[in-house]
Amino acid sequence: MADSDITRQLPLPPAFFHILIALGDGERHGYAIMQDVARRTDGKVRMSPGTLYGSIRRMLDEGLIDELTRRPDDDDERRRYYRVTRFGRAVAAAEADRLRALLQHARATGLVPRRS
Amino acid sequence: MKHRAVAERVFGLVLRLYPAEFRDRFGHGMTSAYRAARMEAAARGRAGVAAFWIGVAVDALVRAPGEHVMMTLYDLKFAARALWRAPVFSVVAIATLALGIGVNTAIFSVVHAVAIQPLGFFDPARLVRIWEKNDRLNIAQFSTSVPNYLSWREHGRSFAELAAWRSGTVTLTGTGEPHRLGRMEATATLIPLLNVRLRRGRNFSPAEDRPGAPRVAIIMESVWRDWFGSDPSIIGRSIALNGVSHTVVGVLRDRDLVGTAQVLTPLAPDLSREARADHRLSTIGRLRPDITLAQAQLDMDAVAQQLARQYPESNKDWGVRMATFDDWIVPPEMRQGLYLLLGSVGLVLLIACSNVANLMLARAALRRREIGVRLALGASRLRLVRQVLTESLLVALVGGTAGVLIASWGVPALRAALASSLPRAEDIAVNAPVLIFSLVVSVLTAAAFGALPAMIGSRNDMTGSLREGSRGSAGAQQGAARRMLVVAEIALATVLLTGAALFVQSFLRLQHVELGFNAKHLTTAMMGLPEARYPTDLARQQFYRRLLAEMQAVPGVEAAAMSSGAPFAGGNTGMPLKAVGANALGAEDMQADWRLVSPQYFRTLAIPLLRGRTFDNRETGTHGAHSIILSADAARRFWPNADPLGRQVQLGNKQIFQVIGIVGDVRNLSLDLEPRPAMYFSSEQILWPTMTLIVRSSGSSPMGAVMRQKVAALDPQLAVFNVRTLDMMLQQSAAQPRLTAWLVSLFAALALALAAIGVYGVIAYLVAQRTQEIGVRMALGARRVTVMQLVLGHALRLSIAGALVGATASALLAPVLSSQLFGVSPHDLLTLVSVPITLVAVAALAGSLPALRATRVDPLVALRTD
Repeated sequence: MADSDITRQLPLPPAFFHILIALGDGERHGYAIMQDVARRTDGKVRMSPGTLYGSIRRMLDEGLIDELTRRPDDDDERRRYYRVTRFGRAVAAAEADRLRALLQHARATGLVPRRS
Repeated sequence: MKHRAVAERVFGLVLRLYPAEFRDRFGHGMTSAYRAARMEAAARGRAGVAAFWIGVAVDALVRAPGEHVMMTLYDLKFAARALWRAPVFSVVAIATLALGIGVNTAIFSVVHAVAIQPLGFFDPARLVRIWEKNDRLNIAQFSTSVPNYLSWREHGRSFAELAAWRSGTVTLTGTGEPHRLGRMEATATLIPLLNVRLRRGRNFSPAEDRPGAPRVAIIMESVWRDWFGSDPSIIGRSIALNGVSHTVVGVLRDRDLVGTAQVLTPLAPDLSREARADHRLSTIGRLRPDITLAQAQLDMDAVAQQLARQYPESNKDWGVRMATFDDWIVPPEMRQGLYLLLGSVGLVLLIACSNVANLMLARAALRRREIGVRLALGASRLRLVRQVLTESLLVALVGGTAGVLIASWGVPALRAALASSLPRAEDIAVNAPVLIFSLVVSVLTAAAFGALPAMIGSRNDMTGSLREGSRGSAGAQQGAARRMLVVAEIALATVLLTGAALFVQSFLRLQHVELGFNAKHLTTAMMGLPEARYPTDLARQQFYRRLLAEMQAVPGVEAAAMSSGAPFAGGNTGMPLKAVGANALGAEDMQADWRLVSPQYFRTLAIPLLRGRTFDNRETGTHGAHSIILSADAARRFWPNADPLGRQVQLGNKQIFQVIGIVGDVRNLSLDLEPRPAMYFSSEQILWPTMTLIVRSSGSSPMGAVMRQKVAALDPQLAVFNVRTLDMMLQQSAAQPRLTAWLVSLFAALALALAAIGVYGVIAYLVAQRTQEIGVRMALGARRVTVMQLVLGHALRLSIAGALVGATASALLAPVLSSQLFGVSPHDLLTLVSVPITLVAVAALAGSLPALRATRVDPLVALRTD
């Protein structure tokens, strides 16, 4: 994957980033992603199913995530599981770098208090 | 429980708003997510539930449409890429559509400006034009007289306001050269009735609209601009009209009134000087809000009957006729003609769509494998149809844009060509309504040529298409569809070509009608001698006599004459005429056109003098003989079996005249109108305010300058206007039929070309499909001729089928054209038979090219081909 492909994805929409974070430690199905995001943000970010699946569709088209072909045997076969791709990880890392750099600048100018 | 059921239904509805493909993929996940999120929200209390349902609403109103938009954008990108990869198809398809949509847009701009756009007046539906009519004399629309107009005002109950005017010309002096201006002498009610706001100043007051009032005038903006340099102090300025000083009280915008007048003066009706039988006023009215046209007509019929009883001498048999402004300014036949043009050009577009549909079907055949693979990979048929339609839409929109550009280029030419023959032609433009029309047509076109290929192209016998070299049932379906399209194209082209042939014949007949006079090398010029400098008839007659003498002395001039109106000059003067005496065996009375002419008039125009003599010294001055010359038709009607010479006739004003000569019938008004009964008086005895100098020259060198010169030599302050050759006037008279014939022929040529291309395409495809078969036949000994016959046979079958359908349709539709045709029947057998034959011949020619190619097939190569 070329660097240009990665930078073309930036800045990543917040919803995308949240989904990538949720999939960072393993595969999940749609609703589980929603729950994970809500839990991590203490309920501050609640995605509607429309936002979630709209984002999932676009992330699938862009190749940031993959749909799994195999799933746990006892699960409902209509449920779809997703996982992050290598490309998705690279993009997430790039986004994190971008945000970190922003934060550094904000601290340098005193806009945001330095961490004590 | 109930809440859950309602919630489930809402979730289902929201999902329905998403594209089908999205629903198939994520529907289950979304439904589960909605359910779980709802329960979680309930646990968070009222605020949580509210936030949840707001999220659902946003999904429905924003995200679902958003998915549709994204999908369409994706399809557009995909379509653009596909079109880029097939440049030949794209260019041909776009060019075909550009042509079709372009001509439609151009013609619609004309139809919209003339027939659809509402008139620029305030509440135009309430405005009516009012005429007098006389059924017995066969007069449908005639001016009214001042006394009648005033009686209408007094007795009519249907109008909120009435206004009238008399049109004429007046000479403006004092601004350099003398200028001839069109003038309306109008009642003070005209401007308020039309609800027009003056650019400057004010309207006439009722006091100024009376005899003896101070002379005032209102001028048009163009006059103010061109001859007064937009002088800011124009109001109150004195101007000289016909040598009489008038004070300017107002300035009007050019388009605000009806007609082409450049200056307005008050009518100042003077009952003591106006005869009830002297019809010279044009009248309009604004209906009361609660009155319909039909009711107003009944009301005025009653008023007319009352006046007929009160004044039988002048008003017997005279009634009233009214029409809305719409029908007056754009007569129904003109409207019909315009819609016919739009219909013709619509047919061209249909043919263009058939061609593009054919192209798309051919292309779909080529992409069978690609489609088969996509179907096998799980693409839904609906999605494929959507993609093909998006591709069609893209082609149509690009073609439509190109078409609008073509139209923008052609519309100014159309506007100029139509300016003199269509009302409101100056409004013809590619404006917002025309652009919207273009867009709608483009979208409909996309549906028209995209639907069939989309349906057929996406249906695929899957295993068949994946195997190389297969035909499958889809191929057969495509072939049938393409052949049907070509048959339809040929049928449409036949209809158009038939129409064009009829219009062209009609126009040619019009060009060759018998005029009754010789129009070659005739030049006319109008002038009006102002009363101020020519106070008596004698003074005026002396001027014209001297002018004629001067003109006749000019080398190259064969003859010169004066007349109150030249043929085809526009406008007409007419009067009722009655035969006197016991020997009147024919019509009792009739309406006849009259002209005041100098003695050499008939010689100048080469109107044959059939009996008797022309005017001479005996018809001079007010005490001269009361002589009249009648047209042959007029004489025949009064005295069908007797010698008309020496007989007497009586005019509407009771004067008696003796017939001294009979001349040939002349077409005076319009090429498609039969010559009407006419009568002539000597201009040595009676003069009209404006007279026309008519000069016949021996060669075609322009006489206009010489005529102006001679007039200026006699009176430098006299303005000469409407200097035209009779050729020009005849051309103008035929302008609309000429344009119609030209345009419809252009459309027919386009249609023919498109149909020929269509036939070529289908036959070429057929040959390509059957290359193997042809190879086998030739290998088995079939001769070239046989192969040619085989292929041509197909072409002929298609074109004969199409031509027959087209001929039948033409025969059925032709009566619609009757009102537009002159001298040719809509069921002209020669036309109805020769046009289909021509089409079959052209189609056969188009099909012969691939047929020839088929004969050159190398059997060995063909057998290996697939």
